[in-house]
Amino acid sequence: MSFASMNRRNFLGATALAGAATVAGPHRARADDTVKIGFLAPLTGDVAAWGLPGLYGCEIWAEQKNAMGGVEIGGATYNVEIVSYDNEYLPDKARTGAQKLIAEDGVSFIEMLGGDTMPAVTPIANRAEMLVSTLLPSDLSPDTPFLVAPAEVHPIYNLTGVWWMAENMPDAKTAVICAQDDAIGRPSVATYLAAFEAHGVEVKDTIFFDISTTDFAPVMTAMLAHKPDILCLDTAYAEFVNELCKQAFVQGYGGQIVSCTADFYADIIANTSEEFMDGVIFQFPDFDDPALNDPRINFDDPNGFFQTYNERYPGQWGAVSWEYASILDLWLDGARKAGSIEPAAVLEGMKQGGKGAHAFGEADWWGEELFGIDNALVGDWPVVQIQNGKAVIVEFKNIPEWWSEHGGTMIEHFEEMGEMWYQRA
Amino acid sequence: MSGGGAVTYTVWAVLIALPLLAAWLTLDPGLGGARRRIWWAVLAAAGAAALIAAPRVATFSQQELLVFLAINALVVASYRLLALTGEFSLGHVVMMGVGAYATALFSKRLGVPVPVSMLLAAGVTGLVAFILAFPLFRMKGFYFLIGSFAAGEAIRLTWKRFQDPFGGPKGVSRIPGFPDMEVGPFELLFWEPVTYYYLALAVAAASIWVLWRIERSHIGLVFHAVHWQDQLAGAVGVNTWRARATALVVASAFAGLAGALLAHYLTTVNPNRFDVDEMVYVLIWVIVGGTATIWGPIVGLIALTAINEVVLRDAGVDELRPMFYGAVLILAMLFLPEGLETLPRRVAGWLGRGRPAG
Amino acid sequence: MDLAVFIQTCLNAVYASSYLALVAVGLVLIFGVMRVVNFAHGELYMAGAYALFWVFHQTGLPFFLGVAVAIAAVGALGLVMERALFRPMRNNPLGGLICSIGALLILQAGAVALFGVRKKSFAGPYNEAVSLFGVESLTISGQRLAVIAFAVALLGALWVFLKKSRFGWALRAVAQDPDAAALQGISIGRISMLAMALGAGLAGAAGALTATIVPTGPYMGHSVIIGAFIVIIVGGVGSLEGAVVASILYAFVSTFVTTIWDGVVADIAGLLLMLAVLVARPQGLFGRPERA
Repeated sequence: MSFASMNRRNFLGATALAGAATVAGPHRARADDTVKIGFLAPLTGDVAAWGLPGLYGCEIWAEQKNAMGGVEIGGATYNVEIVSYDNEYLPDKARTGAQKLIAEDGVSFIEMLGGDTMPAVTPIANRAEMLVSTLLPSDLSPDTPFLVAPAEVHPIYNLTGVWWMAENMPDAKTAVICAQDDAIGRPSVATYLAAFEAHGVEVKDTIFFDISTTDFAPVMTAMLAHKPDILCLDTAYAEFVNELCKQAFVQGYGGQIVSCTADFYADIIANTSEEFMDGVIFQFPDFDDPALNDPRINFDDPNGFFQTYNERYPGQWGAVSWEYASILDLWLDGARKAGSIEPAAVLEGMKQGGKGAHAFGEADWWGEELFGIDNALVGDWPVVQIQNGKAVIVEFKNIPEWWSEHGGTMIEHFEEMGEMWYQRA
Repeated sequence: MSGGGAVTYTVWAVLIALPLLAAWLTLDPGLGGARRRIWWAVLAAAGAAALIAAPRVATFSQQELLVFLAINALVVASYRLLALTGEFSLGHVVMMGVGAYATALFSKRLGVPVPVSMLLAAGVTGLVAFILAFPLFRMKGFYFLIGSFAAGEAIRLTWKRFQDPFGGPKGVSRIPGFPDMEVGPFELLFWEPVTYYYLALAVAAASIWVLWRIERSHIGLVFHAVHWQDQLAGAVGVNTWRARATALVVASAFAGLAGALLAHYLTTVNPNRFDVDEMVYVLIWVIVGGTATIWGPIVGLIALTAINEVVLRDAGVDELRPMFYGAVLILAMLFLPEGLETLPRRVAGWLGRGRPAG
Repeated sequence: MDLAVFIQTCLNAVYASSYLALVAVGLVLIFGVMRVVNFAHGELYMAGAYALFWVFHQTGLPFFLGVAVAIAAVGALGLVMERALFRPMRNNPLGGLICSIGALLILQAGAVALFGVRKKSFAGPYNEAVSLFGVESLTISGQRLAVIAFAVALLGALWVFLKKSRFGWALRAVAQDPDAAALQGISIGRISMLAMALGAGLAGAAGALTATIVPTGPYMGHSVIIGAFIVIIVGGVGSLEGAVVASILYAFVSTFVTTIWDGVVADIAGLLLMLAVLVARPQGLFGRPERA
């Protein structure tokens, strides 16, 4: 049978299963009650790739918890129900969705992608004192006391890749950066500029491209004109990274590549060569990486989750697949510490002692200097390298340690890019 | 079901039925003057009651929908003014964006009081439209459609490209809201959807009344003449360029006002919100509703919003929602090619034909 | 910009113009004969890309078979659209446009349902870089060369078909003046079907050929449709030669501006180019002035 129809069948199966779980829940499990969690992200339209795969991950997470009889919080047992609302990445639909999730569905927590949709939701969330999470820490400001950025403090962790290269590849002295021109790409450029400066690498040029770009040959041509030692792809959509690598390969590049993500790197290797991609540095491990079975990792059974996900949604795995789900782990940890599912209490529980249970180990609540509020969770972050066609965690680097030495440089570059919280329009 | 069940579906049905009846009254010549006036009075009273009562019975999320509905009613009604001259623009939503950005920058950067800033924004939008009229009205029909898209998209990309003052791809946030007021014993807090709905409704209703007056005036007749008898109108001394430009400027100014309403409600604007996808939705509302009466686009807007935002969301189809919406569009065009506004007349026709035959 | 970069940029532009021409010529055919603005044309391109993904990448059949399947399948899709949507809307151009938007939404959501929301990046059969003129720094992927060759061949075949065959003659007659053509006994319905099948097939071919070069995703049609509309305006609505020349012009402007400044500036430049043409020469570079 074809892959396409398999995928379709799995999709239908999953939908039916999710439905069955909701219906059967109260009868089957010992759970006393249901806790609802809102998922407010783009599920249709061209930003859907940043929402829909995350919804799949959250549904698997909830299913696994419910299969074990629900989650225990403050002496009560709850089934978890994920309530989704497609915001189409539009502020008006996001506001409508937030109202529905809070006032009608009675969710205890809302997960969002953030970005364009966040400013319209913030006033609603603040009034309702609703705990909201974002994948984009640039949404944080002193006006967002109920907003946390707990999964990835993008783009700060990108410094770990540069740091590792400086220690392990001291001969690489020049770099060129290309970046998609949006809320994801721009702050990431500031991070890379700061990290390269801190480690003595000269950045020859920074080239922005629009997110509607499909032909990356001209972008790569312009980059390679500088003959850099390091090609920095910044934070770009998966397919952009893929196209940029293809172009670098075709146009004869032979130096080091660093990128925030390298989703579907197997495809990139197929498009280029194993030799070409060997040594590429990025920041997102595969969840079957043995290094993730370390007890300090706060993600339940990463290898099993990875496997279930890939069986059900082949070809859909990416960073967002686990990130939204990992935020649920943090939420659960906070709720347990608080002994309650009340949003304000959970927030307090999450932030107890200024530490939080991040997926990659215990981390600090931080961000005052960059975002005006300590609602971003930073600690260790993995540096991942492609070795013989497989992504391998080469080292965990501690971000607060880097910050204590080079934080000022980072702030300078954020200011220059206009990305400090007080500069944002 | 999350949508609030039978009550809210009834609200939507009433909101769709009233403009449908108004369209029927406008189109159907079969009623005598006195009876017609009575019907109008009844409809007007029922409409006012329904519009005022709607947010009181709607659920929280549907109160939000009502706010956007009131704003979009102004967008589609103003769009129709331009359509009267026979031209369909793909730049109207960008004009709305011009108003939104203008009021955002005036009120946030320059500290202009919000109500003043909104009016200024409408003026700025009219001015931008006036400038665009020079190149655009060298074109007609399909060329105008594409030309208006190009002009609009160039403006929109300028917001995206220039961080200062437009905020780049992220746009402008933390725009001041409409100032709270005390009117007698009432405290009007405009962050509340119900209060803002009444504001938007009042602005939209007044604007639509102005648009309707324009259509019924001498200028409106010129618009019709330009549409149907372009060369003849020119030959008898009507300045067709001036008529088209007037329609574009007035339509755009009201679109800008609608954009300003949106900006101060959401407190954020970004280039993405005014892209061609959004424009396509406006075009869909107008065409599916029909353009023969001012009620047609409004029927299209309310009916399609109800389907997309209430019925299909309640059905839980999530990522497949656009597929059903697309099917609805096609069916509407195939079975009611002249728009939903002709539905009552058709139904009456079927009933009339059915009786003697059956 | 040194010489190597300049030549590399030219190569990039030649490639961009080749697939754009395939899409734009199809769009011109459809508009010329049926007078319908097919907003779903980008989604036909997308359908061609997924057809190749399925036949070539998933099923493992030869690349050329994938391209052939894409042309046939998308051509058939075009036929269905003509019969089900555009024919009932023949005297209602705005109705046709709304129907094409409906088709667009259905095709996009269908692609999400069948293939998922994440874009597919997969390798073509001619992936290795080819050095041109023996210069090592001057390279282009074999895949891109194949697209260029294919586009030239397909457009050449189309040209011969339109100029030499009876169908082609009838098709051009309808494009010029449908009423006169109908008087001469030409079946507008059959010619519309032919135009739609050809136009859709060309879009499918462009999608299939570029599927291994640009990421294949449900919303990929968006990026080509705007460029294609710019091209048919600049070239002159109804002119196939104009569409080809304008594709080359637009691709060069866009590629050079992207290389020198950035993509957003390139988009603005393309739009302003179109506006300038619309103002100065509304019939386009190659079109005849339209009769009122």
